Amino acid sequence: MSATATTVPKPKPKPKPKPKTAAGEARMRHSGGGPREALRRRRGLLAGGGALAALLVLGAVLLGGGTWPAGLTADISAPLDAANDWVVDNRDSHPLFLYFLLHLSNTATDAVDSVYQVLDALGWLGVVAAAVLVAWRAAGLGRRGLRVALTALGAFAVCGLLGMWDATLLTIALMVVSVAAAALLGTLIGLAAGLSDRVDRALRPVLDTMQVMPAFAYLLPFVLVFGTGTPAALFCTVIYAAPPMARLTALGLRGADPAALEAAVSLGANGRQRLWTARLPLARRQMLLGLNQTIMMALSMVVIAALVGAGGLGEEVYSALATTDVGKAFAAGLPIVLIAVWLDRTTAAAGDAIGTSAPARSWLHGGRAWALVAAAVAAAAAVRTTGWPDAWTYDISAPVNRAQEWITTNLTFTEDWAREFTLWLLNPLRDALLWLPWWSVLLLVAAAARLVGNWLSAVTATAAMAAIGVLGVWTKSLNTLSQVLAALVVTLVLGFLAGVLCARAGRLERWVRPLLDAMQTMPQFVYLIPVVALFGATRTSAIVAAVVYALPAVVRITTQGLRDVDPAAVEASRSLGASSRQQLFGVQLPLARPALQLAVNQGVVLVLAVVVVGGLVGGGALGYDVIKGLSRGEMGLGMTAGIAIVCLGLVLDRVTQRTSRAPR
Amino acid sequence: MNGDTRQTTGAGTAGAGTAGAATEADAKAGTGADAKAGTGAGTRAGTEAAAPVGDDGTGHPEPPVFAVRGLWKVFGPKADRVPASAELTALSPAELRERTGCTAAVRDVGFDVRKGEVFVVMGLSGSGKSTLVRTLTRLIEPTSGSIAIDGEDVLSMDKARLRELRRHRAAMVFQHFGLLPHRTVLDNVAYGLEIQGVGRAERRARAAEVVAKVGLAGLEERRPGQLSGGQQQRVGLARALAVDPEVLLFDEPFSALDPLIRRDMQEEVIRLHREEGRTMVFITHDLNEALRLGDRIALMRDGRIVQLGTPEEIVGSPADDYVRDFVRDVPREQVMTVRTAMRPANGATEAEQGPAVAPGATVSEAIEAVARSGGPVRVVEGGRCLGVVDDAALLAVVAGVPAQEVAA
Repeated sequence: MSATATTVPKPKPKPKPKPKTAAGEARMRHSGGGPREALRRRRGLLAGGGALAALLVLGAVLLGGGTWPAGLTADISAPLDAANDWVVDNRDSHPLFLYFLLHLSNTATDAVDSVYQVLDALGWLGVVAAAVLVAWRAAGLGRRGLRVALTALGAFAVCGLLGMWDATLLTIALMVVSVAAAALLGTLIGLAAGLSDRVDRALRPVLDTMQVMPAFAYLLPFVLVFGTGTPAALFCTVIYAAPPMARLTALGLRGADPAALEAAVSLGANGRQRLWTARLPLARRQMLLGLNQTIMMALSMVVIAALVGAGGLGEEVYSALATTDVGKAFAAGLPIVLIAVWLDRTTAAAGDAIGTSAPARSWLHGGRAWALVAAAVAAAAAVRTTGWPDAWTYDISAPVNRAQEWITTNLTFTEDWAREFTLWLLNPLRDALLWLPWWSVLLLVAAAARLVGNWLSAVTATAAMAAIGVLGVWTKSLNTLSQVLAALVVTLVLGFLAGVLCARAGRLERWVRPLLDAMQTMPQFVYLIPVVALFGATRTSAIVAAVVYALPAVVRITTQGLRDVDPAAVEASRSLGASSRQQLFGVQLPLARPALQLAVNQGVVLVLAVVVVGGLVGGGALGYDVIKGLSRGEMGLGMTAGIAIVCLGLVLDRVTQRTSRAPR
Repeated sequence: MNGDTRQTTGAGTAGAGTAGAATEADAKAGTGADAKAGTGAGTRAGTEAAAPVGDDGTGHPEPPVFAVRGLWKVFGPKADRVPASAELTALSPAELRERTGCTAAVRDVGFDVRKGEVFVVMGLSGSGKSTLVRTLTRLIEPTSGSIAIDGEDVLSMDKARLRELRRHRAAMVFQHFGLLPHRTVLDNVAYGLEIQGVGRAERRARAAEVVAKVGLAGLEERRPGQLSGGQQQRVGLARALAVDPEVLLFDEPFSALDPLIRRDMQEEVIRLHREEGRTMVFITHDLNEALRLGDRIALMRDGRIVQLGTPEEIVGSPADDYVRDFVRDVPREQVMTVRTAMRPANGATEAEQGPAVAPGATVSEAIEAVARSGGPVRVVEGGRCLGVVDDAALLAVVAGVPAQEVAA
């Protein structure tokens, strides 16, 4: 799950949230309409509480305490291992592989290879020229185009300087193929969902669920089918990155100005004309936003897919982290960050440039500028440069490692903090969760999901939690859960505080905003590098990385929520003489509650994504099992953990997802 | 205008008193409830809609552009049963919703739109007027009834024929413009031609002419987002004009505009109508706009036409209290003509001396003439004196006192 998914725009006119909770109902009583409703609701709440208490007593008497009973588990790792063995044995003989999957994986490998060859043939000068000029053209010429072009130039220069040129090219080759495939797939799905209500209804829950699943959980099924290597990495990237494109295409098609569509019909346009001349052009901006998110998610996944043999920059980071070589990890992580910034700026600028201004009145516009770009790239390629010249590289790993050593010897307080945090918060939390009788955890999950959502989400959440127990990974999952909860608490406290500050101080927000933007575009993998440098390989470092990763989204949504509060309501309270404290707690925060709940939901999803990746740096628990399964080929162990992660994700999402998903 | 302002009423369920049961019976009889008693004093019973198409006895040999009979549009579950059932059609809108869950947006409407006239459908929001205009080209599929364009049945058209109708014969101007933001003004105007398959050079040339005609010359390369609301609606108007349609449909085109710009646009429409004489169906909720533009006005309420007539008839002889309420604040002297206010001349001196006005002159013009001359004014048409108006008759119009009482 990449943070970029949080920028999915909600349909513009947000329907006023119906007061779903007891507090909301209680407030409604004053508005005349619903005293009886509130009474009924309160009675329901009482009845629910009573039933809960009765169940608790009953459970304590009948089921006793302790963790998930061994008798209720079902081991799925043996059959999964068997399946894996079967795949390995039959990969060269079974018709399913010979006639279908093998073709797929060969095509994937060939595609990536050929793109890489092209990039290689362009030479460093050609690649840099192409990146810079395309950025310049896509951003709409002029001054903004210049800025974006400079960003591209800087990004590629640093990649070369750090000696990561080859790895960068490989990552870009993977990106080109996977983004092309994901965009195509997403557009097709989005077209279907945008034009047919039935497809939309069927797809929406699937896309929603896909967006809450941590990137980590996508890897294993593809490894099972394709084995480690480029095809597995490519296909899971495509699947992971396609949803935002599908979603936003559908949203754009659905959100098109109805008056314009009606005008097209009234002029006698047939279905095809309507699609090509009105619907698709009107959805163009949303589709470009979708492309931007797809690119950012693909980058995040391509980097993580190093675990399944994707190669490229991710591979460098992964091997560096495995040996805790912070300097090398930095050298590989920095290019990832720069590529993220370059891609984000270029696509975002292209999206902004659409339809906002009249066509430039210079001779340089439209096709002519593209022709110029192509000619310049061809000229640069004709120089026949090869890879980045060795003489122009600089190895930063030594100085970074020296700095890290200095930090670990002189700034011991970070490790002290980490130890204290583990001792006083993390361990007690984990122990408390484990101490809770297993059935009471299920009850808690059900009650919480019912309280914020509807019966369906309560059932889903409880079933997912029970599935974790059945899989036999109860203890590990609760360990992971405790890390998620600890990280979430820290994230929310910091995020809400920062959000309130940003909403109240416009100048602060202007300063913070670019920082948040940059942070949101970065793949989750790179966050692990600095925290390992500071905190060593412990659970705490995974949590810190999770907090840092989730914070931008929470701050952003909180700020936006507070900003969007009806100014008339704030003005009314000010005119009644409310202090700014009273305004905040009496008006702004209550009215921004939907946004705050969304922030909690996004926060929990993002935190989980990083906490499981934290298995790489000492996070242990489920994330570690996945990595172990991947690196040692223990498919059963890894898949079990992967499924448990998905279940945990479902539980956490449903427990924090406000109301039903229907009208979103 | 068709030159015959005496023609009145007639269509649909219009009629004094709006006797519900009677109209239903008429509708089922299939002849249309059209041959109804005239609503206005001094006007004769309208018969044009009831008569066979092509001969309404008032000098309109051509078939009407649109002939609508017994039209229903019902939204909701199993909408078909509502127009078919005498019991359900008799219900009020609220009762109907309670009984069936259906909303009848258009209820048993019938009227003719004559060639070259501006036909205004006027009503408050929710009266069904926007639905009505959309059923004319089946942007909304009507539930029952019949619509004919130039004598050709619209409801039986297949898809291709219907597209043909929309492409060439009727073009619409929308309240919210419905422009394509990613195209320039010129390409927006040319959009209808593009859909017809006209080549790029030709459609752009034709679009450029229309852009100039609506006063947007010089703005061809702008995007809609860079234009003011009034300019955007000019683009919408130009887009409709560019396909050279037989009839223009306007759906509250100026409601979203500021009052001053609205006035400009109304004058633009009047000018275009004067220059080209194109048939127009104009939907509005603004009574003043209806009176300014309309040759005839159909006043709608709850999906029915409560009165259909010239502005003068609507203001001068409202069909019921609802209409009367509606037109209460209208400055009557600016709508009523001297034709309604005049009385026969008393003797030859009155008939042959004194200043003259045309029968189509408004009462306020006559008031000015009377004030200047100090005596009665002759109403003269083609050198023949039709009657005279004096201060008493003019005051009666302004005061809203029926002419008979004055005479008595």
